[in-house]
Amino acid sequence: MAREFSRLEEPKVPSGTLTYFLREALRRIWTSKRSSFVAISMIAMSLFILGTFMLIAENLEHAVAQWQGKSRINVYFETDATPQQIRAAEQILASHGELARRNFVSKNQALDRFRAYFSNVSDLVGQIDENPFPASFEIEVTQTYLQSRAFDAHMNELRRSAGVEQVQFDWEWLAELRRLARIINIVGLIAGVVLAIAAAFTIANVIRLTMMLYREEISIMRLVGATERIIRGPFIVEGMLQGTIGGLAAAALLYAAFSTAKQMIPPTGSLLWGFLFSTFLPWQKVAALVGGGFVAGWVGSWLSVRERDDL
Amino acid sequence: MIHFYHVTKKFDRYSTALHDVTFHIEKGEFIFLTGASGAGKSTLLKLILRQMEPSEGQIVVNGRNLNAMKRSQLPLFRRDIGMVFQDFKLIERMTVFENLSFILTVLNVSPKEHKKKAYGVLRAVNLQHKLNAYPLQLSGGEQQRVAIARALINDPLILVGDEPTGNLDPDLSAEILQIFADANLRGSTVVLATHDRELIRNSGRRVMTLDHGRIIDEKVAVPERPASRDTLFGFASS
Ligand SMILES: Nc1ncnc2c1ncn2[C@@H]1O[C@H](COP(=O)(O)OP(=O)(O)OP(=O)(O)O)[C@@H](O)[C@H]1O
Ligand SMILES: [Mg+2]
Repeated sequence: MAREFSRLEEPKVPSGTLTYFLREALRRIWTSKRSSFVAISMIAMSLFILGTFMLIAENLEHAVAQWQGKSRINVYFETDATPQQIRAAEQILASHGELARRNFVSKNQALDRFRAYFSNVSDLVGQIDENPFPASFEIEVTQTYLQSRAFDAHMNELRRSAGVEQVQFDWEWLAELRRLARIINIVGLIAGVVLAIAAAFTIANVIRLTMMLYREEISIMRLVGATERIIRGPFIVEGMLQGTIGGLAAAALLYAAFSTAKQMIPPTGSLLWGFLFSTFLPWQKVAALVGGGFVAGWVGSWLSVRERDDL
Repeated sequence: MIHFYHVTKKFDRYSTALHDVTFHIEKGEFIFLTGASGAGKSTLLKLILRQMEPSEGQIVVNGRNLNAMKRSQLPLFRRDIGMVFQDFKLIERMTVFENLSFILTVLNVSPKEHKKKAYGVLRAVNLQHKLNAYPLQLSGGEQQRVAIARALINDPLILVGDEPTGNLDPDLSAEILQIFADANLRGSTVVLATHDRELIRNSGRRVMTLDHGRIIDEKVAVPERPASRDTLFGFASS
C-alpha cells in the first residue's frame, strides 16, 4: 500500500544516518587523500607547536611545585667580601632565633654545586680562571616568621650589613618561574590558536573542494528529498575526523619527540635536565590537544557548509 | 493530487516552455503526458517536483501550494514523489545497491530493511543480478530500470516518469508499464511522459497531449480492439 498520509515531521536521527555519515566521510577522506593529508598535517603541526609550549610550561610548573613548601632565604655576599664582613653578617643571623638554622656556602662550594647541576655545560665553566660565584648563607625559615613584622626589619638589617650584595627569598624566583611558565603557556596558546584557525580554514577549503567535486551528486540528493542535514552531515564528519586525526598525530609526535630528546640528552640528575624532562603532559592536557583538533575540524567544516548555495 | 492553474514557464524572453496550462490530476489516477520533442513535457514534470518554479500561475501538489513552499519544506515534500528522470540522475560513484539504499537512508528506513527492499524493486525491474554494478557499467536501458527501481522503492504517493521506457525494447516497455500499473493499484498516482504511441494506444488511460507548451488534446485512449464490455456501448469490433 502506498502511504496514505505524508510525513510532516522529520523523525529523529536514526543510527543508520550516523553510520552513513561516518562511512561517507571516511570514503571522501580516502578519495581526496592528498588534500586531506594537507589539512591533517596543518592541524597536527599547529597542535604540535601548542603542545611543545604546554610541555615546557608543564615541566617548569612541576619544578616549581617540587621546591614549594621549603622556604629559604639566601644572603649573598659580594665576590670580594672579607671574612670579617661574613662574620659580622653571621652575628646578625645568630642574634635572631628565627634565623638560626643557617648553612654557609663558600665560593668553592657554590662553584661545585653549579657544576653538578649543570653538568652538561660545566666544560665551559671549567675554563673560567676566576670563580664568579659568591659565598652565601642559606637559611631555612618558617612560614609564620615570614609573615611576622620582625621579618622585614631583620631583612633590612641584613641588607645594610657591609659586604652583603643582596638578600634573596627563593619564593621570589619561584614566583618568577611560575610567571615564566604562565607566559610560555599563553604564548603557546596564542600561537596554537592562530595556527589552529589557519588549519580550520585549510579544512574549510578542502571540504569546499570536496563539495565542488560532489556538486552533481548533491543536486541529485536534493531532488530525491535529502535534507541539508543528510547532505552536509558527511562533510561535517569529514572535518571533525580530519581534525581529530590531526590532534592524535600531534600528541603522538609530541610524545615521540619528548622521549627521543630525553634519551639524546643523557645527564640525569642535572637541574636543567630535570627542568625540561621531569614529566610528560597529563592525560587531560593530551585530551585537550586532541579535542582542540576536533574543534578546529568541526569549525572548519562548519564554515564551508554553512554557505547556503546550490552547490 | 496535482493541480496546475494557468501555469506559464518562460526560460528567457524567446523560449516559453509552457503557455497558460491548467489541468487537474486526481488521487489514484494514471495519466500519460505526450507530445513532440520540445513540447514541454519535462518542464511540466519538473514543475511538479518543484525542480523549478513557474513564471506565472499556481501549482498545488499533494495539498501543498508550491508557490508558497519554503525551501526547508522541499525535502519532505519530495520524499512523497518518486521520479524517474529523463537523464536517470543516478549517482555514478555508488553501486546500484548504494543508489537505492541511499534513498532509503534519506527516507529514514532502518538499514536492516535496505537489502530486502532494494532486492525487491530490482527484481521487479529484472535487474537483481546487477546489485553491485556501477551505473556506468550498465547499458542505457539498465540504468533506466535502476532509476525506475529507485522511484518505486518506497511506494511514493506520486510516481512521475519522464520517458521511463525511452531506452527499452517493446517487450520490456510493456513489462515496465505493468510495474507502473501495479504501483497505481497499490495507491500511487502515476504521471508518465512518453512519445511511445504504442504504449499509449491500448492502455485505455487518460492522455494529455502538449504542443509547443499548450495542452491541445485531452482524452481517454481508446483500445483498438475493444474488450467485450465496450461492445455494449456500440463499438463494433473488426
Ligand atoms: N533550462 C532551460 N533553459 C532554456 N530553455 C529550456 C530549458 N529547459 C527546457 N527548455 C526549452 O523548453 C522547451 C520544452 O522543453 P522540455 O524539455 O520540457 O521538452 P520535452 O517535451 O520534455 O521534450 P523531449 O521529448 O525531447 O524530452 C524546449 O523548447 C526547450 O528548449
Ligand atoms: Mg523531456
